[in-house]
Amino acid sequence: MEEWKPNPPVKPHKKRSWYLAWKYKLMNQRALRKLCQTGAVLFLLVTVIVNIKLILDTRRAAYEEEEESAQDYDDEMLNVEVPRHPVNNKKVLDVEVYSSRSKVYVAVDGTTVLEDEAREQGRGIHVIVLNQATGHVMAKRVFDTYSPHEDEAMVLFLNMVARGRILIFTIKDEGSFHLKETAKNVLKSLGSQVAPFLSWRDMWTFVGKKGGEVYGEKHAKSPALSTWGDPVLLKTEVHLTSVEDAECHWPDTELNRRRKRFCSKVEGYGSVCSCKDPTPIEFNPDPLKDNKVFDVPVAVIAGNRPNYLYRMLRSLLSAQGVNPQMITVFIDGYYEEPMDVVELFGLSGIQHTPISIKNARVSQHYKASLTATFNLFPDAKFAVVLEEDLDISVDFFSFLSQSIHLLEEDESLYCISAWNDQGYEHTAEDPSLLYRVETMPGLGWVLRKSLYKDELEPKWPTPEKLWDWDMWMRMPEQRKGRECIIPDISRSYHFGIVGLNMNGYFHEAYFKKHKFNTVPNVQLKNVESLRKDNYETEIHRLLGEAEVLDHSKNPCEDSFVPDTEGRVYVMFIRMEQEADFTTWTQLAKCLHIWDLDVRGNHKGLWRLFRKKNHFLVVGVPASPYSPLTCRSKKPSSVTPIYMEPPAKEEGAVAVPAVAAAEQT
Amino acid sequence: MQKINRNVVLALLSLTSLVFLLFQLCYYKFYLSQKNGASFSKVRGSQSGQDSTRWHVVRKFLGLISSHNIPVYLIDPLILGLVDKDIEQIRSSPDGPSPECKYFCAPRDFTTFALLDKTWKHDVGLFRTAEKMGFQWLKIINKDPRLDGMDDLSGMEIPLHYIFKLASHAIHLVVFYERSGNFLWHGPLRLRQHMDRKFVPFRKLHFGRYPGAYEKPELLLVSIDDLKVQIPKNPSSFLEEMSHSRFLECRYREARAFFQLYPDDASVDAVEFRKKAKSLLHLAALTLNNLGVKFWLSSGTCLGWYRQCNVIPHSKDVDLGIFIRDYKADIIPAFQKAGLPLKHKFGKLEDSLELSFQGEDDVKLDIFFFYEEDDHIWNGGTQAKSGKKFKYLFPKFTLCWTEFVELKVHVPCETLQYVEANYGPEWKVPVKTWDWKSSPSNVQDNGVWPIDEWDNVIQIY
Repeated sequence: MEEWKPNPPVKPHKKRSWYLAWKYKLMNQRALRKLCQTGAVLFLLVTVIVNIKLILDTRRAAYEEEEESAQDYDDEMLNVEVPRHPVNNKKVLDVEVYSSRSKVYVAVDGTTVLEDEAREQGRGIHVIVLNQATGHVMAKRVFDTYSPHEDEAMVLFLNMVARGRILIFTIKDEGSFHLKETAKNVLKSLGSQVAPFLSWRDMWTFVGKKGGEVYGEKHAKSPALSTWGDPVLLKTEVHLTSVEDAECHWPDTELNRRRKRFCSKVEGYGSVCSCKDPTPIEFNPDPLKDNKVFDVPVAVIAGNRPNYLYRMLRSLLSAQGVNPQMITVFIDGYYEEPMDVVELFGLSGIQHTPISIKNARVSQHYKASLTATFNLFPDAKFAVVLEEDLDISVDFFSFLSQSIHLLEEDESLYCISAWNDQGYEHTAEDPSLLYRVETMPGLGWVLRKSLYKDELEPKWPTPEKLWDWDMWMRMPEQRKGRECIIPDISRSYHFGIVGLNMNGYFHEAYFKKHKFNTVPNVQLKNVESLRKDNYETEIHRLLGEAEVLDHSKNPCEDSFVPDTEGRVYVMFIRMEQEADFTTWTQLAKCLHIWDLDVRGNHKGLWRLFRKKNHFLVVGVPASPYSPLTCRSKKPSSVTPIYMEPPAKEEGAVAVPAVAAAEQT
Repeated sequence: MQKINRNVVLALLSLTSLVFLLFQLCYYKFYLSQKNGASFSKVRGSQSGQDSTRWHVVRKFLGLISSHNIPVYLIDPLILGLVDKDIEQIRSSPDGPSPECKYFCAPRDFTTFALLDKTWKHDVGLFRTAEKMGFQWLKIINKDPRLDGMDDLSGMEIPLHYIFKLASHAIHLVVFYERSGNFLWHGPLRLRQHMDRKFVPFRKLHFGRYPGAYEKPELLLVSIDDLKVQIPKNPSSFLEEMSHSRFLECRYREARAFFQLYPDDASVDAVEFRKKAKSLLHLAALTLNNLGVKFWLSSGTCLGWYRQCNVIPHSKDVDLGIFIRDYKADIIPAFQKAGLPLKHKFGKLEDSLELSFQGEDDVKLDIFFFYEEDDHIWNGGTQAKSGKKFKYLFPKFTLCWTEFVELKVHVPCETLQYVEANYGPEWKVPVKTWDWKSSPSNVQDNGVWPIDEWDNVIQIY
């Protein structure tokens, strides 16, 4: 603002002073004075210029800076990070617990953390575990102790909960019928006065600290067999402890930091959170020599079964040759606990917004997971697809490493699977033996990228089609006559009992007795014989050396197969055309193997073991291996065995209900 | 009296302005030095100190990453530029001690390194060690673009850039990811609200203004200024690549919105056509890349990318654009050799050239050649039966990389203008009947070919 001031008064003299300075320099005192004045004026002018320049420069610089932060380098998505947990200095929690015939709820500080009033559901004892320092819910379980064995699960769970946690119990409907003495004693040891006397249709609520004080208990006795106890509402206060007291003091390492994060959030994982000697979360299995699947991505498809996922990832990370960096866990839904498990093991996880319902939801989740896998690992030619309810064999990657080149080179292959549908304890023997089968077993398998990208992805069932993805993949339009390679002894074990198509009974009948390889470093036998043409030679060789069993005996009887070891036997069953599986299904049923649909066949031939002998079943005359066509040494006296299906009901009803049962 | 007065006034004013001026100068200097940091103070004479600081910081950083087995390579354009001048000498003497600090002491604010994501394990220990060594570090994370195209997947955010600062120098570590289409991608550098905007002068970074796409480089281990470091085998071609590396992500969100409005055609025919178009595009890209001819997605194929991130199933052909200055006579034989016979050739090198190749099962590959004028770019069309010529006008554009059907290809960076020029403001609405002579909004009549030229400019096979 000042710069205009000096100018007006001196300006008129400016020109003349210059002139005078030249002409009367030193001759005149006035001239000297004028010179000084001129100098001053000039000086002022410079000031003005410098000032103007400064203003311009600062402006420009400021503008550029503004531009820099405003345009180029600002995140368009304004991620306003609000602190997630408001600081809560409160030391006391108000807990409300309600128990009644048709409804239970638990509210902590006014927030409902459990509410169940659904009909025909949620019967039994509901258990909630709270963190004693933060009051956060760490686990929520319901044990239907009206039914058998659920009390054992509850005891197991309660034993896994760390000391000091706050436990909340409430009964919905009925929770005492199968609540055995052991369980009652555990509840008593937690401080419950009522538990030992809990009886039919009583209502009960209890809040206590594991290994510590009791905060409250309420009980309402059922007056008669046909009626329930009155609803009970327990209101109590719980005093919080300090965070330090609630945590274990593990050495400060990266692994333990992950462990700490996990253990302060969730409960029910047992020794991983034990303060003394916790179980490891890093396994460092031996590397595989010449591992051909080290760079193959592994997609783990998961839902909301975090305990399953925990067990699955432990076995996966313990398998020799595993490369944790290639593992991605895809969680169907925004569930926190599965993600916590993934982070515990330091793996990467991706959550997927559920699309559609039931089977279609699973199917859409599969598609998204597979697409994402190939996007994340664009170099990969294959992907290993696993599910959260599988145990992985210690030599899983060794098995794949030895066989994966077949999938790359043999166009007639559809997949490599770690699962043998017919590989039960009594029908599988040889860990080094592989088969070719026309069915797609899933349950731990390798998918070729080109198959997925060129064929499957573009026509994957859309969300409105309630199809099972695996049934769809088994359809002839997709499979196009290609086959899968499977091991005789499975390299995965299906332990899931709860699931979309799964229940305890079904698991017991079809999965529990499945054989699972536990031998490390199995050297696979004659992998080259699995190629399309070589396999035919191999089968003919086998049939050539096979002894024909006595077809007059009952094939279901144990005595059908002689008490030998290491021999090859063949039997013939009637199979009128390619799709005639009448006799096979009956045979499978009496052999107690998979009989719900046809699995494990290769051109009308099944291979399994009985009494440690290789046992071949050939469908005559549909199979090309029928004696007439392959000229094996079949004595003319043998008639293929025919087995009548029983009266329709049982078999026919079971099939549609559980056809795709294992993919859950 | 009056004169004295005037002198006093003058003297007073001079004094004030002198003080003022001094103040201004001080402020000016302070301001500049704050903004420019090291480079300004260097002028103030501490040159050698500053230089060796840079070298020391780089040496410390290289020590840090090698102690964690993280393979990084140098992509700093300034240093690579210097290295490139002496490349022969550096290559021939990989271990020789160097007499002077020639490269890593060059004045600059940053040294830029690249890291391939899949070669390291996201080891948190690195940062702890870095802190112990005195580095301050900043991590810039963002969404994973490889999952962006997918419905409803929320992955973890991935690290895109790291900045390690020590004293007055900073190391910019750019994380490269492999993308479908066999190329490397680095993300843009975007600061979140809570981040320290003054951590380093972000505007001066060489990488991060835009995302970029690069070929996988061949690396060379060299020793420069007594530091062992990996550099791209051919620095000059890397620098050249860098100057055209800008990458555009497909507009996945808009594409999803489009499919909400116009559900995708999932018929067998559509699936088949997409598959053929994709393989044709792959073949064309391979052929043209082998010839070193730069091309981009044009017309319907470009619209498909921009509007729906996919091939438009009813478009029936694949369209590419090539600048006429990039034309090579080998193009036709190369395509024929690749199994794509020439279907027709319209126009000539000087005017309206257009090639059309026959792909598998009626899927056609059209290549339009583009002619640059002062204020616009155009390509030509020819009607075979009448010899009529058409001209399609486009505003000027530059080329960006993108990923399309698992391929790294060019598209015009100014895609919207390009698409709008071609399809008008209603380009968002799918049109099944399209007449190339009248439907485009940028078509102009361009006369008729002289009859005596017809044999040359209208060739149909």
